[in-house]
Order: sequence, then C-alpha cells, then structure tokens
Amino acid sequence: MTIKVGIIGFGKMGKLHLRVSRYMKDAKVVAVADLSRRALQAAEKEGIRALYGDYHEMLRDADVDAVIVTPPNFMHLESTLAALAAGKHVFVEKPLAMTSADCEQIDDTAGRQGVRLMVGHNYRFFDATRKLKATYDSGAIGDAVLSTFELVHGPLVPSLESQPVPEWYFDREKVGMWLLDLGYHLVDLFRWLFGEAEVVHARLGNHYGFPYEDNAIVILQSRAGPKGVLQVGYFAKLVFPAFDFRVILHGTAGCLSTDRFVPQNLRLHAAKEGIANMLRRMTARRIKPLSYTYFYSSYVEEQRHFFDCLQNSKEPAVGAKDAFATVRLIEDVYRYCERVPSAAVGAS
Amino acid sequence: MGTIVGMARTSTIDEGGIRDAVFRALDLIGFEPSGPVETVAIKPNLRFYWDYSTGETTDPRVVASVIDYVRERWNASARIAVVEADASAMRTRYAFPLLHYDRLASEKGVELVNLSDGEVCEKEVTVGRHKFTFPLPKMLFDTDLFINCPKLKVGPYASGNALHITCCLKNLFGCIAKPRKVGWHPQINEVIVGLNKLIRPHLNVVDGIVALGQRPVKLGLVLAGRDPVAVDSVAARIMRYRPPSVRQIRLAEKEGVGSARNISIVGENVKAISKLFPSRSPLAFKLTWSGQLWMLRLYAKLSGDAVPPLLD
Repeated sequence: MTIKVGIIGFGKMGKLHLRVSRYMKDAKVVAVADLSRRALQAAEKEGIRALYGDYHEMLRDADVDAVIVTPPNFMHLESTLAALAAGKHVFVEKPLAMTSADCEQIDDTAGRQGVRLMVGHNYRFFDATRKLKATYDSGAIGDAVLSTFELVHGPLVPSLESQPVPEWYFDREKVGMWLLDLGYHLVDLFRWLFGEAEVVHARLGNHYGFPYEDNAIVILQSRAGPKGVLQVGYFAKLVFPAFDFRVILHGTAGCLSTDRFVPQNLRLHAAKEGIANMLRRMTARRIKPLSYTYFYSSYVEEQRHFFDCLQNSKEPAVGAKDAFATVRLIEDVYRYCERVPSAAVGAS
Repeated sequence: MGTIVGMARTSTIDEGGIRDAVFRALDLIGFEPSGPVETVAIKPNLRFYWDYSTGETTDPRVVASVIDYVRERWNASARIAVVEADASAMRTRYAFPLLHYDRLASEKGVELVNLSDGEVCEKEVTVGRHKFTFPLPKMLFDTDLFINCPKLKVGPYASGNALHITCCLKNLFGCIAKPRKVGWHPQINEVIVGLNKLIRPHLNVVDGIVALGQRPVKLGLVLAGRDPVAVDSVAARIMRYRPPSVRQIRLAEKEGVGSARNISIVGENVKAISKLFPSRSPLAFKLTWSGQLWMLRLYAKLSGDAVPPLLD
C-alpha cells in the first residue's frame, strides 16, 4: 500500500522532505499546506496538485494518511496536535515542541489516537553516527569515560537562491532556546549513546548580536557514568558541502571518533557516490539518493525508517518520549544558567 | 604627481592598532573637505550576516576610527550616519545588531540608516551603450561628506558565478535602495560604473585588516584615497590582479570615474603586501564552482537523484 503524505510548511525543510520522499518506494507526497502563496507556487512547480493555504483543510483530506510537519519551530505544537487529532501518522522535524510540557502533551495525544509519531533526529541517521554507536555498543573501546560532541554551523546559511533568511530566525520567541535548535542534536546523541543524563556545567556565549546565545559549552554526566563536553555554535561561515561535526569517545579500551567514518574529502566522496549511482542507474538498480551530499543522506534514512515503521506497524526509533527527554535536558541547561550567573550569555 | 593612495598597516589587530592605521592612512593622503562638514554618511560593506573576521564585512572598528577621525580633524559635532541598504539575502535591520554596528552606534553616538527605508530618487545614467535607472537614497546626495568604507576582498557576487574584486567601486552597489538587486547582475560591471558616475564618495577608506582571498588573511592594512579607481587599482595589485585586467576598473577609467594611472602610493609596499595575500584564481573558481553546479545538474538529470533545496 502506498502511504499518501501531506506536508505542513513548505520552506527549506518541507522542500527537502518532498524531494527525499520521491525515493520512498511505498510513500508519495500528495498535498502541501503553507500560509505563503509563494511557497505553494513552489510546491506546484514540484508537481504537487493538492495545495492548501490552511493546513486544517489538508488534514480533513481523507486521502492523506500521514503528515510531515516542517513549519517554523514555534508552530510545531499546534500543527502536530492538529494532525494527530485528525488521526494522521506524523513525522515532525525537531524540536518536537518548544517545551518539555508541550512534548508531553503531544506524546499523550499520540498515545490516545493510536497513530505513529516520529521526530526528525536526523543526526542519529548519519552513516558515521550509526557506525560509531554500533562500534561502541560492541564493546570495542570498553566503557566510555569521557566524550566530546561538536557541531558548528551558521550563521543563517544562505541558499543559492539569494532569499532573505526567514524573519522568525531573529525572534527569540519563535526560535525558542537556541540550544533547542542546533544543540538539540548533540544532547540527543549523548542520550542516545549513554542514556539519561544531568547537567554538570554550562556556559552560553554570544559572538554575533543575536537576541539569544549563538554558542555554548555544556558538560553532561550520564547516569551510566560517561561524561561529555558538548560544544555547539552558530557562528562559522561554512559553505556546503563542508560541515563541522564530530563525536569523540574515550573508552577504557580505546578511542573512537566519527572522523573515522565521515569521508575526509567530501568532494571526492561526492564524485565516487555520483559515479556509483550512475552505474546503478545504468544497470537498472536503485540509486542511493543524496548519498553524494553525505549530509543530506541522513534525511533519506530517517524518512525510510518512518515509512517502514508505518508499513510494518513498528514503533519509530525516535518518538515523543525521546524528544521530551532531550528538551527537558536542554531546559535543565537553561535552569543551570539561571542559577549560575557566570554561565549565562556573555559576549564571546 | 597623480592621485595619492595612502597605505598603513598595524601589527596589533585591536582597537588601538586599527585606529592608528586608519589615522595614518588618512594623514598620508592629506585629504581636506572642500566645505563645512555638518553631515557625514559612512558606507561599510555588510555582506549577509558574516562578521569582519571572515573577511566578508567591514570591521566596525575601522568605521569607529573613521568616525573619530572626522570628529577630531573636521567637526566634533558632525551628524554622522552609518548607512547600508537591504540586499536579496540580507536585511539591514538584522545585520546592524548581528554585526555589532548597533553597539558602535551607541558608543559613538551615530545614527544607523537603512538606505532602503529612506527617501529615494530615481537617477538615470549611461555607461557605454547601456542606460540604467537606479533608485538611490536621497541622503547620499545631500550629505556634506560621503565616506566609502569597503572591504578588501575577492569573491563571487550574489548570483554570479565568477570572481570579482570587491572594493571601492563595487561597494556602491549596496547603495541601491531596492533590496532585490539580482536583476542588475548580468551587467554588473556597467552597473557598478554607472553608480560610481552618479554617487561620488568624497573619500574612500578600505578595510584590509582582515582581507579575503582564497581564505581570510590578517593583513592589518588600511588604504585611503579620494579616487576610487586609483584605490581599487592598488587594491587589485594587492590581491594579485593586474588592474587593466579588471573590467570594472578599466570601464570606470574610460567613463571618467577616476584614473588608474600616475598613482602615488605612500606608506607601504604593495608588492610586499601582495605576497601575503592568498590569491584566488578566477579561472579555478569558475571551474570549481560553475563546474560543480553544472556537473551536479547533469548528474541529477542522468541519475534521477535529488538536489537539496540549498543547491537549487
């Protein structure tokens, strides 16, 4: 059975999910909802026929089985709840919601409605992070004692379309806590590898004049033992395909880093993957979509996982409970910063 | 003696060092305003939301030093405005605070002006066979002193796929009041020269503290001069371009914007500084950038693979 999908929010992420969805063998995007006429025109250009200015109308469409929720962060709660109430399966971009209480509300609703909900923690779906976790779980480096998680982007990477950065990026209320955006991935990866944790220390900084912090160092201690230093920032001019991300685990029997699994030369990687895909195409085999970009391949994998869960009635790997725990830990970071004045945002 | 271009360097890249370099560069050219200086407009180069350390945007400390110079040498109570217009992918109201220009404004008591918001006049100009009409901020024509504060860099223009030097001449492109400027990119050199025929900065102070070539480089350099063509010629040589090979310089000279000949360079040695500049080959850029995009599109067509929205 082909799952018919609607997308709420057709910005950068909505467009990406549509393009990724074309490679899902048992799912098809049939509808798009967005407040912006320009976004709907863009969806029409991509071949979508059912276009809605109001997502509630799209949710009434019985033809839509599942919904991909990708509007700005501050709209996740409302649109996810509406989609769940309409009985749709939901894939929602991270963060699931702006607060842990909101995440809990979504979790309750999803449970009551008996539908599947997955949150887009795409960093778990990188080939490198999956290999890192598998190697660590196999015991190859013993027990991890210390770890480092690094992710630097930004600020506000422009597209080649010369479009202004969306206004909501500059509004603290709409973005939420900045750690909720980029730092979210690192907190989630820490939890994924080591389980639940607590905040040992945090220091927020503001290199640019954002109305919120644009860099942070957070030290977490997992209940199972390992400690981790999380360094996240939104201050570097990184041009695609470059991305600055790594996880390093120091264990009792060795050391392991994602650098071991991420291609060192991303252009060479793109060329190799491109040639491999051409050969697959020539020999009538399925291509590996977006593998040449490395970064975007994680979105393919997470979407594939989501639709596989829907087809086979399985629980997605990342649900509302995971999102709740991640958001709650981030809230703990901010609570720590309130308690310890030197940890709060300073120019740095 | 022809036009003077002053060059000064600082080995300590901090507020004091930058101020010293700006003052020395300006002293070297001996510029004096032709009349009273009551109102001043200073135009930095703000590109997107990247800060000065990336080599993309003018260092606010350079602008602060220019403000100090105006106040100390010409008029302590001059009304000074730092001006910039919106661009396709940048909004001035966000760029000013993000790049710490709001802090500069409050510390120095100057105004921040979004050129896209103020009164605009339509100005016509002809460059060769091309005729243009630009919506330009009226305030630029009413100010007593207009100081152009570009960055010393080589880079691709917003929608362009070729490298250009970006200095005094190009910085006036950011004076067009209309945010969406991509429509002018196909005739970018003519447009730049046309703008320079219409708007004549009285003074140019180039921020080469962190310059941008293949990568950012801390040169600690400040260039100053009255003639934008002369200053850009020197800047081109620093960035290892032959000035006659730069179309906007050639065209600007032909159209009478200024002169690239008989330049007296005072203060520093161009050749020595150019050795420090990480040059960027336009051909290599064209091959890598355009080539990559071309290959990507061909690959997507042949393989049926997707293109991420970022690379549209």
